[in-house]
Amino acid sequence: MITSILLLIIAPLLSIFFVYMAVTEKDLLKAAAYSAGQSIAYSILLQAMSTPDIVMTYIAVSVGLYSALLVFVISKTERFER
Amino acid sequence: MRRITELAVIISLILGVSVLLVLAASILIPGVEVRQLAFFYLYTTINPWFQNYTVNSPEAVTAIVWDYRGLDTLFETSVFYLALIAGLALARGLFSETLQGSFNEKTSGLSTIVKTVTRVTAPMIIAVGASIGLHGHLTPGGGFQGGATIAVIPLVFIVVYSAFFLIARGVTSNKMLVLRSIGLLGIGFISIATFLIGLAIGRFAYVFQNMPKPGAIVGLPADINGALISGTLWFFNLFEMIAVAAGFTIAFIILLLAGRGGSGGR
Repeated sequence: MITSILLLIIAPLLSIFFVYMAVTEKDLLKAAAYSAGQSIAYSILLQAMSTPDIVMTYIAVSVGLYSALLVFVISKTERFER
Repeated sequence: MRRITELAVIISLILGVSVLLVLAASILIPGVEVRQLAFFYLYTTINPWFQNYTVNSPEAVTAIVWDYRGLDTLFETSVFYLALIAGLALARGLFSETLQGSFNEKTSGLSTIVKTVTRVTAPMIIAVGASIGLHGHLTPGGGFQGGATIAVIPLVFIVVYSAFFLIARGVTSNKMLVLRSIGLLGIGFISIATFLIGLAIGRFAYVFQNMPKPGAIVGLPADINGALISGTLWFFNLFEMIAVAAGFTIAFIILLLAGRGGSGGR
């Protein structure tokens, strides 16, 4: 019980940190990695809320497919934001 | 200094909203009607003593997604299908799937170590995806989750080998579209399967019916030779898995090959 409450507090804060880093980062590849980190924080949050079905969808789509998509899109443009 | 201030402001805002949420959650609990609905779902999901209402699936989420609220999921799958058709229509002429010049499997792609590891792990990923998808009515997971896991395979192969590796192996967007259509047609067929059985034997049956219901005693079997399949749920998960895996593969092929030649490409 106490573990899941702790996770419910830590995971959103972690996701806020990753979102802040992703928004302010000038290197787009690193920003994509921070975005994946935010997705992992959300997965922990969903697991703490005991919704394993949504965790499976969320991990496959947001950490795997979405990050790959972002990397492809970045490869078609410039890596550094000006 | 300014960054630290910004960060401090954001974190304090989040903490404040969290406290508000905790307070709200301790005061505003869901109403009695909502609780009764949840109680009905959980009570009837698998209940051998309540044969006229049960779904015979231990996994309540899949039972809700494909049985109680099956029509929603059907439309969701159709929307994903139409989105892919739109993507294909937009990318038409931007990519060509014919091999250009000399494509050598040995020289293209990453190193031999990476290729070997990929070749070993690929069947494992497919097995995990199939297990998530086909056990969707028993354990957490389902057709979409399994299909999305399997769709990692074409992605990894495109990155590790090369963009034309899949096409040289015959995995083209047209073939994947056929597979996607088979998946959607299968879902459509299963949704009216009980209705068709009812028509054939002259009994009343609903569209999207799974187990026998009061007034409509037609239903698909809950198990085959002792293995629980929960009637339509297993078939829905199978076809959804095929459809999602093929759909994501189409998306990757479009994304990776767009702009690499083709009739109208610049």
